[in-house]
Amino acid sequence: MKLYKKEGNILQVISFPTENVEKGDYLLVEDLEAAKALIAQVIDVQFAAVPGVLEELLRTLPDGGEPIQGEDIDLMEIAPHITYIQDASLLVCKIRATFENEMLSPSSSWLPSRSQSIIKKLSTPMLMKLARIEGNLPIIIGGTKDTSLLTIDASAIDGTLNIITGKKGCGKSHLSKLLMVNLVGYKATVVIFDLNGEYSSLGMTSDGKRNIYHDKIHTLTPSQNFKVALDQLPLNTVMGILVNALHLPGTSAREFRRLWKSLKERGKLNMQELGEAIRDLNCNQHVRDALASRFHSFVNSGFFTDCIGEATLLDETFFKAKDQGGAIVINLKNTSNIDRQIVVEYVLGKLVDSLSNWKLRAVFLFAEEAHLYLKETYWDDIVTRMRHYGIFTTFITNQPDTIQETIYRQADNIFLFNFTNEHDLDVVSRAARVDAETVRSIARDLPPHHCLTLGKVVSDFPIVAKVRRLDVKTMGETRLFFTNHKAQSCN
Amino acid sequence: MVIEQYTITNKYNFPQPNIDTILPQRFLEQSINSLNQVQHPLQLNHTTTPQFSTFNQNQSNLQIKQTPITLKPNRQETIIAAIDTSTIKIGETTKGIITAVRGATTWLQNHTYKYTRLGPFIFHITEDNKKELYNTLERSYFSKTFGSYNQINPTLLQMPTRISNLLERWLQTMLTKTIKNGVLLFDGSLTAGTPETPTVRLNEILSNARKNCSTVLAFSKATTLRSNGILITEQLPKYDPPYLLETEWIKPNSQMRLLGDVYVARLNRSNFAFRLDIDREIESTERIDAVNKLLGNDLYTQSYPETLRLSHILCTFTANEVLAIKHFINRKHGIQIINRPDMHRLLFGPFGFRGEAYA
Ligand SMILES: Nc1ncnc2c1ncn2[C@@H]1O[C@H](COP(=O)(O)OP(=O)(O)OP(=O)(O)O)[C@@H](O)[C@H]1O
Ligand SMILES: [Mg+2]
Repeated sequence: MKLYKKEGNILQVISFPTENVEKGDYLLVEDLEAAKALIAQVIDVQFAAVPGVLEELLRTLPDGGEPIQGEDIDLMEIAPHITYIQDASLLVCKIRATFENEMLSPSSSWLPSRSQSIIKKLSTPMLMKLARIEGNLPIIIGGTKDTSLLTIDASAIDGTLNIITGKKGCGKSHLSKLLMVNLVGYKATVVIFDLNGEYSSLGMTSDGKRNIYHDKIHTLTPSQNFKVALDQLPLNTVMGILVNALHLPGTSAREFRRLWKSLKERGKLNMQELGEAIRDLNCNQHVRDALASRFHSFVNSGFFTDCIGEATLLDETFFKAKDQGGAIVINLKNTSNIDRQIVVEYVLGKLVDSLSNWKLRAVFLFAEEAHLYLKETYWDDIVTRMRHYGIFTTFITNQPDTIQETIYRQADNIFLFNFTNEHDLDVVSRAARVDAETVRSIARDLPPHHCLTLGKVVSDFPIVAKVRRLDVKTMGETRLFFTNHKAQSCN
Repeated sequence: MVIEQYTITNKYNFPQPNIDTILPQRFLEQSINSLNQVQHPLQLNHTTTPQFSTFNQNQSNLQIKQTPITLKPNRQETIIAAIDTSTIKIGETTKGIITAVRGATTWLQNHTYKYTRLGPFIFHITEDNKKELYNTLERSYFSKTFGSYNQINPTLLQMPTRISNLLERWLQTMLTKTIKNGVLLFDGSLTAGTPETPTVRLNEILSNARKNCSTVLAFSKATTLRSNGILITEQLPKYDPPYLLETEWIKPNSQMRLLGDVYVARLNRSNFAFRLDIDREIESTERIDAVNKLLGNDLYTQSYPETLRLSHILCTFTANEVLAIKHFINRKHGIQIINRPDMHRLLFGPFGFRGEAYA
């Protein structure tokens, strides 16, 4: 390989076919004289504009005819050299760092010698060593192209805001499962808003046996095993549900607050009493109707109970997960839109509550397609207030434009799967820790299950890896009509 | 030790049977010999000089008769075959030059074009080796070495053309010996008595062709044919092409011999006319018949036969091949290209990369 050009932090390198360099690969451009090296990543591979290639290709086509057949008596065996030159490629590389005195710095301002620089591929293990990506709490993400492993450190997703995004079916949920079980393995508390009911089987192997995580996966299905008694609810959580999820107007909300307090004082805070109190409420008709309709939603959700014994599961799982680690799967699969919001509102309130009372240390929250249940007002809250309480969120979505821009700007890590859509790529490019060229050029060519990891976990050296398999029962597969059909006709 | 790698294998199957392989073998040997004499480090000059195909002649003393011989395409199936060779200077060394030579034979049979290319052969030519190199190559095929001409010592710069001429004459010989009842297209003229084309040699080629009932038509590539100082194309008679115009040609010097009669050929409506030499020894009806068969079989888009055009473009070196040859001599013979930036310019220059001009 030979250095050809440098413009800002873009390097252009000529490479010959045998050197076998691909997009995503890292190169080390060493200038021995200067005792420095640039670390650059290949973000595009183009044909080198070798002069004469066009003539070469054209001349075997006579006027409008088929290619002419012929034979070359090439006694000196020049032909392989011709192909070699013809297939030379131009590598467009982004400079990621300068390596000098055993130290990495983000500088890209010096110019390595064009004639003297030695350019070679930098293997992933070497890069990870230089960039100190590995740590004491390794999480193996998967294999890189040079058959080494991409291993990140769990502490690099501690306290961070993360995004997992990519086209449908490319393996986002799979990666979040992988992260989750590893975090649980390090005794972390993980909560997942499971929209498709695909996380509850994390405790099973693919052939249906219990795996090592089995006792740490707690699935909570609203209105089935997951219910809540009003008496357990802090007032602000209820208010949150009413205002945010059920859009209760201000006057009615004030009335409700009064009602709630009085019931609480009298030790009568349950669904039955609340229902009666609303019915008997002596106030404006509109207010009473508003409260009655919200109460109806409460009843219909099946999420609220007057039986305290039915309503202990969340606290119990928090308790279990606190010391031993555990994943609390909030299964929202068969939950209606309104109920989903009620449940999410409740869980978030409960989390903040538990964290502020130190019933929990910190929580890794995974949110699949959060726009379907998270009110707009919450987005900022998540990256600011909740983060301070110790809720570290990972958003998972196949529609990157449903995540607010503030989230992108503050995201610490992005796990990016394939995208071909320009608009989607544009959105993701807004993330601060990402440069648009890298995203555009690499994400477009990612095969399924391959992920471009960006941000803090990789010390800002974007690395592509094929996410490793997980021996857990999968449930998230897209439901199809023809699969059975096919299976039958195969038999 | 390198030589052992280069042996003519069975892969080498020239389309014509029973061809002897001594000349290609000698070319190869001399090639490698000369390259092995190179002592490094050597400076390779990156400039590539224009490629010489064949010797261009001063055509100022050409008199054109204005009565055209009309032509009528004859579609009787006839083999049309053409030969061309090309040479290019790859670079300079402290002692001489490095040059590459290649030849191409193209033929049209059953409405399809086929070709065989021989080469490239790469030579390092120095003042010290040029004479021996040339003589060895010449001896390898042509029984007579025309010693008298060798006294006229070719300059280094003439050597590539001389070598490619040898290759061209050899290919022509092979063709005339193997093709029967064909039309054979040569590049250039049928002028002999020059240092690179001794009269005997060209005579031999033409007589071989006649023995096999083939006709040699030699087309000059030059489109700037002039008569009385005026471009031929400016004074074409107002007849419908295709036609030939007879000429009278005043010999420029006593040594030179014209073994063909010179015509101006206008083969189609495009405003091009070429000089065409046809073997003198052939009856004039046969001459016209040969041109008619060419018209009836080959394509001639620019008033120039496609078979010959293909031969020409097939043997011409592209910039890409020049790079490859440099790469080859660097890898195989340790000749370093010192001026790297120019290498890059060659890679990216002419067609511009991001608008960078080839300055
Ligand atoms: N790295 C992997 N190795 C093996 N199988 C995988 C891998 N990643 C994903 N899969 C499988 O591919 C299928 C789709 O993956 P997954 O459900 O994670 O995609 P997704 O991006 O979440 O899709 P959607 O957009 O529909 O939610 C699943 O059956 C999953 O088990
Ligand atoms: Mg999914």
